[in-house]
Amino acid sequence: MSAPTGRPTQIAFALVDHTGRPVTLDSYRGDWLLVQFGFTSCRVVCPRALTKLSAALDELGPLAEEVRPLYVSVDPERDTPEVMRAFLTASYPRFTGLTGTPAQVEAAKDAFRVFARRRPDPDDPDGYAVPHTAITYLVGPDGRVARHWPDTADAHTVASDLAATIPGRPST
Amino acid sequence: MTVTAGSAGTAATSTTPARVLDEAQLGHLKHWDDLSRRLPHDWSLMQGKGAGEDDFGSYRFQLAYMVYGLALTHRHRLPAAPGLFRPTIQRLIDKLLMPDVWLYWRDVSRGGMVMNAHLSDGYHEEWDPVVRDNIMYSAYVQSCSLLHDHLFADDRYAQPGALTFEHWSFFWGGEPKRFAYDRDSLNEHLYWQMVQNGYLGIACEPNCVFQICNQPAILGFRLHDVITGGDRAGEVVAGYQQAWADFGRLDDTGHYNQMILEDSRVVRPNALQAPWVDAWCGALMNTWNHDFVHEHYPRQVADFLEPGPDGTIAVRSTPAMEVMGQTVVNDTCDLGWVAAWASEMGDRATLDGILAHADRFMAPTWRDGALYYPRNDTENDAEGHRTGIEPMTGNVLLGYARLDVPDGLHELYQHPWGPEHVAEPALTEVGRDVEVSRAEVVDGVLHARLRRRGLDADGTVVLGRVPDGARLRVDGQEVAGTPVPEGLRLDVPAGPAHDVELVP
Repeated sequence: MSAPTGRPTQIAFALVDHTGRPVTLDSYRGDWLLVQFGFTSCRVVCPRALTKLSAALDELGPLAEEVRPLYVSVDPERDTPEVMRAFLTASYPRFTGLTGTPAQVEAAKDAFRVFARRRPDPDDPDGYAVPHTAITYLVGPDGRVARHWPDTADAHTVASDLAATIPGRPST
Repeated sequence: MTVTAGSAGTAATSTTPARVLDEAQLGHLKHWDDLSRRLPHDWSLMQGKGAGEDDFGSYRFQLAYMVYGLALTHRHRLPAAPGLFRPTIQRLIDKLLMPDVWLYWRDVSRGGMVMNAHLSDGYHEEWDPVVRDNIMYSAYVQSCSLLHDHLFADDRYAQPGALTFEHWSFFWGGEPKRFAYDRDSLNEHLYWQMVQNGYLGIACEPNCVFQICNQPAILGFRLHDVITGGDRAGEVVAGYQQAWADFGRLDDTGHYNQMILEDSRVVRPNALQAPWVDAWCGALMNTWNHDFVHEHYPRQVADFLEPGPDGTIAVRSTPAMEVMGQTVVNDTCDLGWVAAWASEMGDRATLDGILAHADRFMAPTWRDGALYYPRNDTENDAEGHRTGIEPMTGNVLLGYARLDVPDGLHELYQHPWGPEHVAEPALTEVGRDVEVSRAEVVDGVLHARLRRRGLDADGTVVLGRVPDGARLRVDGQEVAGTPVPEGLRLDVPAGPAHDVELVP
């Protein structure tokens, strides 16, 4: 038996969206998925990333309609669908939140090769934070990871790369 | 063959404006070339004290740091002699891929290391030596192949299966084992392991993430970026800094934290203040973290040095660990690593003192023009001077220290060669009998200093990338080289070293 190698390709997940609807990759088959992992109590990395990605989608213009932004929780104990819905609709309305049981979230993390690990945080009201991989993934309509960006990529870079990767719909 | 004991000729190696190698430096290069030409499975002079190739004096480290030393020499001292370095590096990488070097992983992958015995039920025997953990091997395969392809503007190791690990035994082992990678797939594989580990690093033995052994991977990412574009190295370094910020790169005494245990997130400091931990880590981390490494170096190194007679400097070692009633057998290579670190830091006084100690107390040996310091398991002589030396130090690290330049790795990382370098005239082939002590292009003129050793029949060089109308001179006299498809072939005259110029 060997460990997975290279870029994650076997993308599969079974989670719950922020309306409480069970979802899998097949629920979004045919869409381009812009996937960011994080947790709603995150004070720095997630707000920065979600703001950046929202700006990138704004810059993308009509082509953004081809993209479904997903925000996957790495903190399922706190991030219920209701919490995620409130968090995202207030500040990042383009995003759909996904969460699930700890086992479901763990499986999704493995599929994307995402790191996240709970650690004490005295500045957090609940006493912990969940440092995590801040990579943004683009999953193609075929369900395979088409590309990814590090946290350091700015909004314009993401927008430019999305425009170069996603074919626009033929005009009618 | 002649073997003689004696001085290395000079402890100090100055960097002259003309960048001419001295006798000792040439001797180390010859020794590395000789070792690279050993027949398969012949590891003469390279066997250390430990069994099983799982300690710090293993073949993989000797082979990899010969490649690093050759790369640094080419980059900084003989930039116009790719034909001297390329075949040697290729032969060393061939050896790095041999099962003798990586078969330890089949056993070590089971996770039974003393401090991790409680985890061994969660691990399994793994034959593929790079697929999981084992960054203490995989990063060297990655970085050495990328050094080759970067320095020689080559895609040799980008070919599918160019880095393949194979083993089959008639006598045991069942089906053949074959794991095919190339520089790109291996680099990608290591990168995603880094991502999945939160950039903290990839483990060596299961559960043990050493700072040291992740530095070569970062060098590899940088070289891959240079070759293919992107900024994986920048991303990994930023993530690495952030991940280690929780633990600190240094321990409470100001020495480098040795490693972190993945399961417990417990950091193991350099509790014994072992010189090799700081020296190895500091020398490598200077690639991307120059100011930090230089800031802490003077205080750290002072804890390890033992002044001796006549300006010699020895390096102390810590007593061998006693665990489970056993004495841990390990080639620490303390003196060699501190020499390599001092060289990278540009600490001439310390380097000269250590080399002087080695020349006086560690039996420098010349063998057909090759210089090495043979293994000696006797730790001290009757007067208490350190005499113990491991093959990693005697074959590799003292030569590496003589051949590196101040901030040599740092410059290799920060200012890699661009395409203009491989457009310049150069010695693209060098016969085995030819010693090259100078090879550089100054103001468009290729300058080389060549000498026949008289040990082998092949005494020619090929000057490649020759500008139209260029004139070839030997010791100031114009000569006609033999036109060949790559350029001009020159039969190096016998006798003392000859100065060769190719003037556009």
